[in-house]
Amino acid sequence: MSKVWYIMLLGSVSALLFTNPGQAVTAMIAGSHAAVKLAIELAALYGFWLGFFGILEKTGIADFLSRLLRPVVKFLFPGINETGRKYVTMNMAANLLGLGNASTPMAIKAIKEMDTGSTRASQNMIMLTVISATSLQLLPTTVIGLRATHGSASPADFLLPATVATVLSTIIGITLVKLIGLLFRKRGENREHKKEKAALQAPCRGLLRGSRRSQ
Amino acid sequence: MTEIIIPLIFVTVLVIAAIRKKDSYSAFTEGSRGALSLMANVFPYLLTIMMAVEVFKQSGLSFYLSKAVSPVMNLMGIPSELTELMLVRPLSGAGAIGILEKVYSTYGVDSYIGRCASVIYGSSETVFYISTIYFSQSNVKKLGYAIPVALFATLAGCITGCAILRVM
Repeated sequence: MSKVWYIMLLGSVSALLFTNPGQAVTAMIAGSHAAVKLAIELAALYGFWLGFFGILEKTGIADFLSRLLRPVVKFLFPGINETGRKYVTMNMAANLLGLGNASTPMAIKAIKEMDTGSTRASQNMIMLTVISATSLQLLPTTVIGLRATHGSASPADFLLPATVATVLSTIIGITLVKLIGLLFRKRGENREHKKEKAALQAPCRGLLRGSRRSQ
Repeated sequence: MTEIIIPLIFVTVLVIAAIRKKDSYSAFTEGSRGALSLMANVFPYLLTIMMAVEVFKQSGLSFYLSKAVSPVMNLMGIPSELTELMLVRPLSGAGAIGILEKVYSTYGVDSYIGRCASVIYGSSETVFYISTIYFSQSNVKKLGYAIPVALFATLAGCITGCAILRVM
């Protein structure tokens, strides 16, 4: 991420240096302005959805949903704790309903729950990111609305291919994360095997050498 | 149909709270308490990304870059007119909406290109934004293979979606 950001920024500002140097700072400040506006909007949305989640939690509905989806979540996120599972369930439910802004605070909390202090993302964290990023969205409401305002004859015409695309991308994402996880684990095991073998062989060699010497 | 689902969930939850004799008011307040501190954590990441994305768009670099990769897109069955949309989509939701509207007014909503653009927007997410914001409250600095896998899966989905549209 930091590399992508760096290249993007360096490239853009260097390009503007040749075409329109006065625009560089204006554009960057315009982007910062947009960030502040979005932050205020998001603070309201997060406050609202976190409040709603507060009710879900107090009434025990969150626990109920989390128990309902337990097999799925356990398969996708092995070794996740109780609280983390609840947040992940809420995140997935919000994603399915197309409520991206409701799913974000849940994901942040879930990742905080999975945090072990390591600077490297664990497989569960990567799984959550990939599932959200491939957005298993059943109703892309934004696009339907936009198509209608642009005078489409059938605004929901793209739903079938869009659903196939999003289901497929989510399946590919989950499979790849699981496969790569398996690959890493195998490599780790191999390394340990080698260590064990070496540890076993060392004293044997010593013994052999010793016996030869005694002959 | 969609308009009714969320309010319906809301009413159900409020009724359940009343049946279980829980105070919804204090539960809501307690829940939303963390929103501002959450935002304070997210904000620096938000600003850092959006600042760079804005220059990226305004400098015309995104336009030239999409021109450069459009033959590759064409090869995979995605109309070359939609390269900029594919490029901006993982970076910024608002930016991608702007491009989507431009595509609609230039090529028509119900044209093949217009429908392809709808599939691409509707079946993808702001991958870079998500992966930065999600980790804003953790110690994690290295995301491993998260972004490449997410981008690859999204691309595969978009290619399939556009292929289905072609035969539809």
